[in-house]
Amino acid sequence: MPSSSIAAPAPLPNVTAKLETRKTIRVLAIGSSSTFGVGASSGSKNYPAQLTDILEKALKGINIEVINRGVSGEVAKTTAERLRVEVALTHPDLVLWQLGTNDALARVPIDEFDDTVTSTITWLKENKIDVVLVGLQYTARFARDDNYAAIRDALRKIAAQQNILYVRRFEAMRYISSVRSAPPMVSGDDLHLNDLGYHCMAEHIAHAVIANLFVRRFRPPTN
Amino acid sequence: MRAPNEIDFWRGFALATIFINHVPGIFYERFTHRNVSLSDSAELFVFLAGWSLRYVVSDPGQPVPAFRLVLRLVGRAVVIYAAQMLITVLAIALIAAAALYFEAPPILEWHNASAVFEEPVATHIGLVLLSHQLGYFNILPLYVVLMTAAPAIALLDRVSPWLLLAASVALYVCALLGGLNLPTWPVEGRWFLDPLTWQFIFVLGFLIAAPGRGLGASVRRHRPALRILAVPFVIAGGLAAWFHYSPDPLRVPDPKLFFMFDKTFLSPARLVHSIALVGLFAGSYRYIAQALPPVARYMSMLGRNSLNVFCVGSVLSLCGQIGRFEYGGGIGTDTVVILMGIVALGVTGWVSEWRDRLRARQGPQPSPSSPPQVSSPPVSSRQAQTT
Repeated sequence: MPSSSIAAPAPLPNVTAKLETRKTIRVLAIGSSSTFGVGASSGSKNYPAQLTDILEKALKGINIEVINRGVSGEVAKTTAERLRVEVALTHPDLVLWQLGTNDALARVPIDEFDDTVTSTITWLKENKIDVVLVGLQYTARFARDDNYAAIRDALRKIAAQQNILYVRRFEAMRYISSVRSAPPMVSGDDLHLNDLGYHCMAEHIAHAVIANLFVRRFRPPTN
Repeated sequence: MRAPNEIDFWRGFALATIFINHVPGIFYERFTHRNVSLSDSAELFVFLAGWSLRYVVSDPGQPVPAFRLVLRLVGRAVVIYAAQMLITVLAIALIAAAALYFEAPPILEWHNASAVFEEPVATHIGLVLLSHQLGYFNILPLYVVLMTAAPAIALLDRVSPWLLLAASVALYVCALLGGLNLPTWPVEGRWFLDPLTWQFIFVLGFLIAAPGRGLGASVRRHRPALRILAVPFVIAGGLAAWFHYSPDPLRVPDPKLFFMFDKTFLSPARLVHSIALVGLFAGSYRYIAQALPPVARYMSMLGRNSLNVFCVGSVLSLCGQIGRFEYGGGIGTDTVVILMGIVALGVTGWVSEWRDRLRARQGPQPSPSSPPQVSSPPVSSRQAQTT
């Protein structure tokens, strides 16, 4: 499926700028379950690990260092607090923040969710750290859930307002689920992507990152 | 059963607010004191746990012999460990049942539970070692570590309370300097509440509870001055919480953990604020009991049975989350959750004391299951059981 329907393109100014002068990019992957690698057959195959492989292959000579801080079942507010501490202690250039599913399940009020995410993104931007939001998971039952849809809308809106990269996992997973070809990409519980699904997701993030780098490199800055 | 008192009241208060705060997004969360307080009920709970340790180590008028003291405290640690195992298993089963019943697999990842289902082999070892903790089920593991260390704490206190204070401060400072914490496994990470730093507030509770010696005596001597000194800290902490202010972790100088408002490492700001809160509100129970006698009685009953109430509260807040998931958040659902919680916690306290009341009614003859208490008068033994 086309990348544009999964990842809304947006600039990664800080990572791009840093790649001009150095060869190492440090990535902090934080957020709920899939960061930890649920459904993948081993820890090394979770999406941040796969993302590292893809980016290092694509951007020859670049060293990608990924710090994995996923805890399953966290609401965004809890992650946001942890995120600030982890950023201070690990100094990443890019934060991959996976969020939304658990807030939707816990019925966290949308405006509270919006506040948490927006203020955290603002803080990251102020500190010249790029952020990629990784959206919520798809399951057939929650495709009709109002709260789920509201959290999804909030994320899309925030990403547009803040002009940041947003990986629309829901759409991607719905697509995978609809084609359901062999080999299956969704593991037994019908929710968590298996290794191939992770690979697919990591590839989409990598494509978006690489595309952004090139857009930036070959177009004169507009601001 | 002892009469309602200040320590039990505040313990009950901490338990009730922990129950509410562990249902994220609940409407009534905005009325708990953490909205106007930098520190929350966790600090209060651990401080009062340290305070209660004081009752366990000395029977009125005489210290407990060292060997019996160690047995008593280790026994206590085992009871708390068993409670942690029980509520963890209940929580895992509840999560699994909710996922099945509501056909909602995402529930399986709540509270760090996903590893239990996805990597059960390693995670079961981690659960038993306390190195894998479910979210919101992380206070009792801290308590187990503290109670395991309690014999050393109590015996060091007998040598010199000032020596204990110095040792505790040294460990606290080292842990903050080096960011030292116990690791989690198999999920890479660290304990949510770091025992190496949180021991300090536990030891402070234990030391301040001693009226006649060490820090406890000094604090009592300067109580009016300390109360005034506490006011600006309580106000500053209140404003920080109200305006959601916390120092930017990237802007604070090194060593960063000294200047951040971090809960995991119990940063000094949170510690000082919680002690200031205790200093300011110590003694206020008298007025609360006069103004709201049923509330004082209810909270004290929760506090007297704190372990049982805590366990039921933990499981209930998970039920509350599942309820909010299925029926949606909102004042209606949230009121039902809160009312059920208030009743269930009260019933837990009441049932826990039922046996004691029955026994009291039957007369003073000791039953075969309760050995004659030679050196433990009823009050202190009851306190020993309810820490």
